[in-house]
Amino acid sequence: MAALPADARVLDLPVTARRRSGPDAWILELGLPEAWPRLRPGRFAMLAPADGRGPFIPRPFSIYSQPAPDRLDFLIQVLGPGTRALAALREGETCTATVPLGNGFEVQPPERPVVLVAGGVGSAPFLLYLEERAAAGAAERTWFFYGARSADRLYDRERFEAVGSPVRCSTEDGSLGFAGRVLDDLAGALDRGEVPEEARFAACGPEGLLHAFAAFARERGLDAELSLETYMGCGVGVCNACPTPTDPEGPWGDWPWVKTCVDGPVMPLRAIRF
Amino acid sequence: MSSGLLTSAVGSLELRSPLLTGSGTFGHDPAAALRFLGPEDLGAHVLKTVTPRPRTGNPPPRLVETPAGLLNSIGLENRGLAWFLEEVAPQHREAPWPVVGNAGGESVEEFVEVVAAFGAEPALAAIEINLSCPNVQGGALPFSTSPEAVGEVVAACRAATDKPLWAKLSPNVTRIAPLARAAEEAGADALTVCNTLLGLVVDWRRRRPALGQGMGGLSGPAIRPVALRLVWECRQAVGLPIVASGGVSSAEDVLQFLVAGASAVQVGSYCFRRPDGIRRIAGDLRRLLAEEGCRVRELVGSLRWPGGGAAGGGEG
Repeated sequence: MAALPADARVLDLPVTARRRSGPDAWILELGLPEAWPRLRPGRFAMLAPADGRGPFIPRPFSIYSQPAPDRLDFLIQVLGPGTRALAALREGETCTATVPLGNGFEVQPPERPVVLVAGGVGSAPFLLYLEERAAAGAAERTWFFYGARSADRLYDRERFEAVGSPVRCSTEDGSLGFAGRVLDDLAGALDRGEVPEEARFAACGPEGLLHAFAAFARERGLDAELSLETYMGCGVGVCNACPTPTDPEGPWGDWPWVKTCVDGPVMPLRAIRF
Repeated sequence: MSSGLLTSAVGSLELRSPLLTGSGTFGHDPAAALRFLGPEDLGAHVLKTVTPRPRTGNPPPRLVETPAGLLNSIGLENRGLAWFLEEVAPQHREAPWPVVGNAGGESVEEFVEVVAAFGAEPALAAIEINLSCPNVQGGALPFSTSPEAVGEVVAACRAATDKPLWAKLSPNVTRIAPLARAAEEAGADALTVCNTLLGLVVDWRRRRPALGQGMGGLSGPAIRPVALRLVWECRQAVGLPIVASGGVSSAEDVLQFLVAGASAVQVGSYCFRRPDGIRRIAGDLRRLLAEEGCRVRELVGSLRWPGGGAAGGGEG
């Protein structure tokens, strides 16, 4: 059982800017009261408008970007009342953030290849991951498979491409890149030896993609991590509302669940039933 | 200057603040409370329910949002009494606030087993008995709906400990006064009023309940007027101190409960909105009390009912 991260805190942060991304998403830029160190990719925040607008419970979001030491950006797709209230925040308004939460992706040595797989806004934790790899001199040993229904839902695609790693886009409607599902593109790339099977794989995205990826990774014996999202009450490990089932044969097998918020949201595929 | 504004007491348990955590909303261990709350803000840390043996809890989804609140069915997930005593309780021994254990069980004997062990645990200043979780035994509400059952459990627990004993009552009853009186007569030191309201959300496309277990307990601001009414009814029925619980998310809410008769107020779901919520409410409470020129102790039970009589039934 993991504990509450030592750096987690509750902050009321000013919205410094908000910009559109794709047909249904926004980048929310929040100002921090002081400079923060770089955070592990894959950590998250619980966000809600500070004035009580929107639903009662805050929503979890991956930390998308730290473009300056005193800024945190979030990629927010409008899906329901909670995300709508956050996306409606204007510059100068205040967002309550409990942050940084969760564990983040396990650090890989620069010489080990890493393959990232995302669908839609599942890309959110991977900008920091790509930047971290580039900073370690491992950009060319890192691949990003970025899939979506259509090209306009490959949110902030140019920004991912600008980091320097190969970004392989796929769209289900064929409007950009590989025409089809992102896992079909990945399967072809593995079969042709374009990406190495001994890489560390990490996936984030809609639940359907994660389930398909989990089955795919198990079938091929890939070493993989998943960035999970469940209903969360608190985000800080106290409410027990976000259980992820554990594999009884795996390292967490002494209890049927772990807490997604503090034991994750990034979990090794071999430890969970998913 | 502001010291003393917030002090209160639940029977013999002195509190620096009337604000407590609601059981199940701030964990078993002290980590989150120590991180987000200060001893001048939090009157006591009420812990998540412990049962004699491990309970793995209910299948997900365990939480679904509702208008002004949430429906949960966690199912009292906990690793059992032995785990709590060995691994958790020692972490609370240096806590900067009183710690209240919460005991659960499916039989009188199970309640007594936990209460007796809590009574011997130096980290715990008081014991709340959870007579009212709606999420075990399929929502069958075994203890909390019958005065005889409440009396039996409370009397057995009373005999097992000298520590302050709080009976946490259910709102899922037609009349709460007989239950409050049963707890008082059986030797409870205080009442906690109330637990969650049994509710249901349906995922109509799947033709299934939205929660994995089926029904759940409703909490949050949506239930606050119901909880306030129950606190007032208990205030009329018994002389015991009352710990209120139900939808508190601001200092104004706390003041309503104090005036209606509560000596202390638990904050639950709002801790999910912001884990430092109790600290924030405490700050607002100090400001409001200073403006009003009164202290928490002076407000408790100060409600003046129209016509000067006792609570009138509003139904009908």
